[in-house]
Amino acid sequence: MIKSYMILSIILFSIGTVGLISRRNIIVIYMSIELLLNAVNLSLIAISSDLGDSSAQVMSLIIIAIAASEAALFMSLFVVLFRNRASLDANLFDILGSSK
Amino acid sequence: MQNEIIFILLAIITIVSSSVMIYAHRPIDSALSFMVSLVSIAALFALLNASFLFIVQIIIYAGAILSLIIFIIMFLNIKDENLPDETHKNKWLMFTSIIILPFTYILIDLILRSDIQTNSKLPENFGSIKDVGLTLFSKWVLPFELVSILLLVALIGSVSLAKREEK
Repeated sequence: MIKSYMILSIILFSIGTVGLISRRNIIVIYMSIELLLNAVNLSLIAISSDLGDSSAQVMSLIIIAIAASEAALFMSLFVVLFRNRASLDANLFDILGSSK
Repeated sequence: MQNEIIFILLAIITIVSSSVMIYAHRPIDSALSFMVSLVSIAALFALLNASFLFIVQIIIYAGAILSLIIFIIMFLNIKDENLPDETHKNKWLMFTSIIILPFTYILIDLILRSDIQTNSKLPENFGSIKDVGLTLFSKWVLPFELVSILLLVALIGSVSLAKREEK
């Protein structure tokens, strides 16, 4: 049973990687990163339930907290980028800083 | 037997909704299908006896992060001309899948060949909030404190990033 959970986690990780590489919409890129984190969480919790040890659950709790802080930073980045360029195209965002 | 049927249903829902998420053109469509896949991943956590992580996944991911994404999508007032014109999206998705598929195959093959044993005997209150909390505050105190500093840094950083500059 744990093998099927890990295979599902690998499939989700691959879907997330495909979306991360091939899309140009930054919101979809962000959600693909979140999908990668979720796939890792799924495999961690499958291992923790298999071993009967709750350390992996704490690890995935910390991953969720990191994802939440990442979400806050990404959202403010989206607001700044959209204010400066009026677009969500990742190819347009090629300078660092706020000069127009 | 019942667990296997539920697992297969949830796996199909998760894979289909995440595929829709990376394929959809408008961001609100991909956000809503991502919500479906997050909730089904939470149900998979519940199937694995991780009841506390199930609640955390529902509250933080499907509750906080997804509503933040949907709020930002509606706040930015995105029109069709603001979206990137991905005319070659299907071609890109196909080529990337062809590149990624061998790695996926190798990983799945490794998992199938490995001798992970299935241990069906779990401790009494495994995955409950008491169990996870005791582990968190005994073995994992330092990462917990570091995460609190990280949340503070993210808070200050996001506020100072989104601040409008004075002309």
